Amino acid sequence: MQMPEVMHHIQLKKGDIGRYVLLPGDPKRCELIARHFDHPIKMAQNREYTTYTGTLLGEKVTVTSTGIGCPSTAIAVEELTMIGADTFIRVGTSGGMQPDIQPGELGIITAAIRDEGTTLHYMPPEFPAVADIEVVLALREAARKLRKPHRLGICHTKDSFYGQHQPGRMPVADRLEQRWKAWKMGGAICSEMEAATIFVLSSIYRKRAGGIMLIAANQEAPGSGVHEDLTGLITTAIEAIKILIGQDNHAQK
Amino acid sequence: MGNCDGVQHHIKLKHGDVGRYVLLPGDPARSERIAAYFDNKQFLGQNREYTSFSGTLYDEKVSVVSTGIGGPSTAIAVEELIAIGADTFIRVGTSGAMQPWIKTGDIAIVTAAIRDEGSSLHYMPIEFPAVADIDVVMALCKGARQINIPYYMGISHSKDSFYGEISPERMPVARRLQDNWKAWVAGGAICSEMETAAIFIICAIHGKRAGGVMLMASGNDDAPNNINEKKELDKIFDIDRAIRTAVEGLKILIKQDRGNQ
Repeated sequence: MQMPEVMHHIQLKKGDIGRYVLLPGDPKRCELIARHFDHPIKMAQNREYTTYTGTLLGEKVTVTSTGIGCPSTAIAVEELTMIGADTFIRVGTSGGMQPDIQPGELGIITAAIRDEGTTLHYMPPEFPAVADIEVVLALREAARKLRKPHRLGICHTKDSFYGQHQPGRMPVADRLEQRWKAWKMGGAICSEMEAATIFVLSSIYRKRAGGIMLIAANQEAPGSGVHEDLTGLITTAIEAIKILIGQDNHAQK
Repeated sequence: MGNCDGVQHHIKLKHGDVGRYVLLPGDPARSERIAAYFDNKQFLGQNREYTSFSGTLYDEKVSVVSTGIGGPSTAIAVEELIAIGADTFIRVGTSGAMQPWIKTGDIAIVTAAIRDEGSSLHYMPIEFPAVADIDVVMALCKGARQINIPYYMGISHSKDSFYGEISPERMPVARRLQDNWKAWVAGGAICSEMETAAIFIICAIHGKRAGGVMLMASGNDDAPNNINEKKELDKIFDIDRAIRTAVEGLKILIKQDRGNQ
């Protein structure tokens, strides 16, 4: 198959993006994130894919939304990889999975539970969906530097939002509830819907990926409230990209 | 769960016998070789495939317990060691290289494991990732650098069948074994061994730390033509390289843990 110049879904071509790409789920968040870039320019918008490119420390960086779920995320990562992206940081919101997590805390993802269908089109389920260690460490360094409460851990990547929030009304309720309990016992910190695919595809294409999630609410800590301010999440992700740019520049010298 | 005297059923050890830091070779014969690097080395016991020594590093109690081959015996060792106070595990062993650029004698520092085995499914659905503790991984990398041992960081393949890997073609499920192997290689797995996934999953459940350092053998090397070449290869394929990396990494962790206290 001849590679089209403009990617089918994201409507971008080589040169439109930097090697560093932030990946929120919500298209509306792209602009919020791009405000932290120098010289941000809106590059394209098609379906759930909105893209801005700008610079940080003089290096080209991009934000592209993935839409909700792994199917649309896989398309975004495939097409971004084809036009030169090599470092991905997922930035999004999630639900807490341990009773001691306060909403507002940041979850830095080390690996993901593959409770979704998309990655099975790439890899047998035994293969771990794991973040790149340099990206994880850059995110941790950024959170420490900006003094944001955070923890490292495994996230749960699911295909059904309401299967998590209202499992009781699903025909497979028992299975959903038992598995949720298993993930908690395994120490999973937060639940979201895209990370597993970003990690498995990045392993296959030898790219780097990580993720940072705002834990906006925590169903395991009733009465703990809701925290929806994304500022700390975004500034930490931006700081991590700067740390990676600094390290990558240093490594090239 | 132990006997009424607190002695664990299989490893035959009790609270106080082991330190919080435990090295886990597969081969019982390697326990003593590893313990040779400890100060105040002490033989603790031997039962079935479990041979145990304790000693000290920087005056901190450390232990080595062999796991035997495979997830089933390893799961028992890790369960019983956690029951008597261990909280940090480093697997030390041999493995087969899975990428063409890896050479015999290279070291793998394991970041996560492919769960191509049965034991961890008795604990966790298959979708859950078997992943190493990041601080253990970083300490092992730093350890390797300090003693100038070249290493690769990456995913390990944990399997239940040694001969299914070595000669898949003679298995009734040959096609499946070969297709999966191709997928693991495409995913970037660097080495194949038999115990890591079970260690990582059980440690995730108990909130303990684990990592692994593996000596790799490459299938791409030319077979030795004479006794000198064989000797040369044996010198390179020396488990001592993995052991020294593990011990050095452990020392770094001990110092870090003291700093964090």
